[in-house]
Amino acid sequence: MGRFLLKRLVQSAIAILGTVTLIFFIQRLAGDPTLLMLPEGATREDIEILRHQLGFDRPLIVQYLEYIAQLAHFDLGQSLVQRVPVADIIAARLPYTLCLAAGALLVAVGVGLPAGILMAVRRGSALERALMALVLVGQSMPTFWSGILLIMLFAVTLGIMPSSGVDGVRSVVLPAIALGALTMATYARVARTAVLEELERDYVSTARAKGLSFRRVVTRHILRNAATPIITISALEIANLLAGAVIVETVFAWPGLGQLAVQSIAARDFPIVQAIVLLSAFVSIALNLVADLLYSVVDPRIRLEGRA
Amino acid sequence: MTTADVTPAADPGALARMARELRPIAPFLVIFLCFALLALLASAIAPYNPNTQNLLARLKPPGTAVRGIFYLLGTDEVGRDLLSRLIFGARVSLSVAMLSVCVSTLIGTLLGTIAGFYRGATEIIIMRFTDIVLSIPAILLAIITIAVLGPGLQNVVLVLGFTRWPRYARVAYGQTLAAMGLTFMRASAFNGASAPRLILRHVLPNIAGAIIVVATLEFGLMVLFEAGLSFLGLGVQPPTPSWGSMLSVGRNYMGTAWWIATFPGICLFLLVLSINVIGDRLRDRLDPRSGR
Amino acid sequence: MGKMQRRTRLRLLGLGILGLAATVLAGPANAAKDVLVIDLVQEPSSLDPHVQWNPDSYFVYRNIFDNMLTRDNDGKIVPQVAAAWRQVDDSTTEFTLRGDIKFHDGSALTADDVVFSVKRITDAAFKSPQRDQFNKIVDATAVSPTVVRLKTEGPYPVLLAQLTKLSIVPKAYVTQVGNERFNQAPLGSGPYKFISIQRGVKTTLARNDAYWGDKGLFATAEFHAVPDPATRVADLRSGKADLIVTINADIADELKKDGKVKVLSVLSERVAYFHLNSLAGPTKDLKVRRAIAHAIDRQGIIDGLMHGYDKPATIMLAPVHVGYVEGFKGHAYDPAKAKALLKEAGITPQTPFTLFTAPTFDQRVVQAIQQMLIDVGINATITTSDFAGWLKRAQSSPAEFGEMTFSRWSCGCQDADGVLFPLYHSSSQWAKSNDPAMDKELEAARASLDPAVRLAHYRRVHEIAEATVPLVPLYQVAILYGARKELRWTPTPNESFFINRVGWQD
Repeated sequence: MGRFLLKRLVQSAIAILGTVTLIFFIQRLAGDPTLLMLPEGATREDIEILRHQLGFDRPLIVQYLEYIAQLAHFDLGQSLVQRVPVADIIAARLPYTLCLAAGALLVAVGVGLPAGILMAVRRGSALERALMALVLVGQSMPTFWSGILLIMLFAVTLGIMPSSGVDGVRSVVLPAIALGALTMATYARVARTAVLEELERDYVSTARAKGLSFRRVVTRHILRNAATPIITISALEIANLLAGAVIVETVFAWPGLGQLAVQSIAARDFPIVQAIVLLSAFVSIALNLVADLLYSVVDPRIRLEGRA
Repeated sequence: MTTADVTPAADPGALARMARELRPIAPFLVIFLCFALLALLASAIAPYNPNTQNLLARLKPPGTAVRGIFYLLGTDEVGRDLLSRLIFGARVSLSVAMLSVCVSTLIGTLLGTIAGFYRGATEIIIMRFTDIVLSIPAILLAIITIAVLGPGLQNVVLVLGFTRWPRYARVAYGQTLAAMGLTFMRASAFNGASAPRLILRHVLPNIAGAIIVVATLEFGLMVLFEAGLSFLGLGVQPPTPSWGSMLSVGRNYMGTAWWIATFPGICLFLLVLSINVIGDRLRDRLDPRSGR
Repeated sequence: MGKMQRRTRLRLLGLGILGLAATVLAGPANAAKDVLVIDLVQEPSSLDPHVQWNPDSYFVYRNIFDNMLTRDNDGKIVPQVAAAWRQVDDSTTEFTLRGDIKFHDGSALTADDVVFSVKRITDAAFKSPQRDQFNKIVDATAVSPTVVRLKTEGPYPVLLAQLTKLSIVPKAYVTQVGNERFNQAPLGSGPYKFISIQRGVKTTLARNDAYWGDKGLFATAEFHAVPDPATRVADLRSGKADLIVTINADIADELKKDGKVKVLSVLSERVAYFHLNSLAGPTKDLKVRRAIAHAIDRQGIIDGLMHGYDKPATIMLAPVHVGYVEGFKGHAYDPAKAKALLKEAGITPQTPFTLFTAPTFDQRVVQAIQQMLIDVGINATITTSDFAGWLKRAQSSPAEFGEMTFSRWSCGCQDADGVLFPLYHSSSQWAKSNDPAMDKELEAARASLDPAVRLAHYRRVHEIAEATVPLVPLYQVAILYGARKELRWTPTPNESFFINRVGWQD
């Protein structure tokens, strides 16, 4: 296991480097931000002077190596647009994204999990179909539409929620619902499958034959055993949430990293985009590593087969 | 996993069984087929040209007639017939989703299967590359790439295809590994069967089920993804109608011309919902762990 | 799932709802009116007035800093930091500064600060995107603590207009804390002080009670960043924001239905135009360009899409520009004539015409124009990229430009030089035409300080433009804002926003 771990760590580090490199070059294919920064009337010379001052007229390889050298010193660079350290901006915005992701996870798990369990337990009934339709609703609407509908209903018409921005705990409710609704169905499905699987197991019939109440069986044994796939799914869903937050953050003016990323891509603010991608790559690859480790623990076939 | 199919002719009860199984999802099947029909027969069904503007007839409510032209569902912000745009929009939304799923399925399955089959260095390279692409939030990668390629139907399909293939690759990889472990696989290899033959004849059929599971999940997602890109101004470009772009424009008119967003919104919702329900049912049948 | 578990879950849910309701009811209803809340599209990218060129930042920092000169609500140039000025010679202007201006830390604003600001913004190494607005100023000297002399490269008639955009920063403070720190905590002399910035959320300013000029009515002002127009509308209608920017006529219609809010509009110095490629492609033929000019129904666009807010333009300037000349008829809407011209030029529906655009531009207008062109037989296809891509293409060589594009131009200077020189002069990368006569007139207008002489040259420029159609002027853009009914504010043609000019009626 130790050698496997070490190998995967090295591979993960290379993967992160690969991600950063990929984004570095793709971004620059679309041009640099010089034109975006300047007023309309700037002449050709003005543009070239600024481009030279910002260093964009140097060969791409030179710019890339400079960036890698910077990274090696844990320096994320300075935002081209805001002229402040990227680390400061990311640090200021990250908590909001985490808060939104946590809220969305709460919504998704809080609704999806019980729904999934109920569906498994009441298999084949009308309740199951109704619940399935309910959780699927969330996954069937684009968030920019469900978002504006929520805002119009709760903020404008009813006036009980803030329409945008951050104003206290209330502000995260609507965005969390819009975002969490996307993953509700996934949790419901996973929970349902896991619980169904457990229900088939011998120990369940044994326990019931022994006289244990069904509820006891579910809570004591089934949920505990079904926890593993649910945790595994969470690892992947968190990464998904961070990505899905992009549109929700734009609609609700939620100052997280998703909104920052979209704006920075449009503004060609390379250092910020690279930093966000680096961060998400780090999180995603780390989570994948954890998930893979869990898989290899759970499924012996994978471990036994030629992991040289 | 069944190795022999039971054809309806050989088993007369099968049809009845199938009908019974399909009954709960029948309405969704019908909805999906309707949309598919709309997409295929758009030119024949749509009453007017979806791109003809009329600035004098803009933002008209459903059921208005202007200069002899009857707008059943009203007009949009430049006076185009909403119903016609809705019908042609079905074509765009469905084809974007279908084509991008095809692209990602092909790339992903190919790469994942090769990685799982050959193991060793190939496996490492492919799977780490998969990790790399997977670690970038899909929508960010899409936006960045579209910034380079420019928006439009073709590029959206390409970009969606290229950002989603890792999901298929991972599944194909895992399933290939599992399939490789089966005794009959080892027996065939022992018998001297060549690699392509092994992959085609034995691996692919075994992993097809899992791949289809992913594809059905992704199909609905791709419809929503395209809508999201349109919201950001990077999806299908005007004047081509897509439900996503109609919805994102119509959002700004909810107070004055609710129909511009509502009808595409309902259609989008129904389409994705039916895809998700049907996909779920498919998953139930194909996923061996469903317990049925 | 046991009954008890379900009951517990329901109980928890109930408690949750109660808790939510409590926070909802306890929350502030509507802030008292000493806080003015403004919804911008994006947050200010930076608050150092010299390091960016974008309207959202300008909205904010323009209240923290005083500029050399400013414009009143009618658009006239009036004193601010500089109380008076005189022309010493053709390329030297002497400014006498006010003696009573203090920065927010109490130190006095002197000629040294003015000289420092000029030198800072014109230094190429400082990388100011605004440099090109001021790079005609070659030297600045402090003659005395209240007198500054600015030397320009030859006669520069636009100097005063440009100085309305030059913010004066404190030399001592900036040199002491450094540029980066100054960007994070700016210090100016304006009517409002910088309090804090919550990145991505809001920027807060507080009234400067020691201000030398008109003090603002509001004790605090908050600028929020809300990228989505539908959300800005929701903010205004729910009372969260008092003023929202960047709305279009359709949104304005929606707001009109709500009795608590109103729409404010102003005809700005921004002019919408349709740029044509005179140097390559099918639009190289003057007949084709004239046909396009006749094919576009300006009034139809204004009435149909803009609800009449905007005003048709027959030349590439607005009445607020120096250099505007009345009486040009432009090309009337005449589709029949357009078709005839196209036939003469040999254009068929097979001839490819590309209209490139970006989502930043009003796509309703772009599509409406496309339809008008198709109606006369020009098969225009729309190609979209993001704004950065559009900028690149618009400033590329004639071969890469394509045939046409829609855009809106504002120099922020209300002077023809800032508009017509970049668009028409062959040396500019924006110009897709090459006319030596035009070049001569533009250069002459730029070199004279005499307003009458300049006007004569610009009259010639407009005549040449009408004859050679390098672009089709469309309309003077009306800028629309949404505001609470009680808000008293007059928007200005140069899209400025001064908190101390905002009032409130109870």
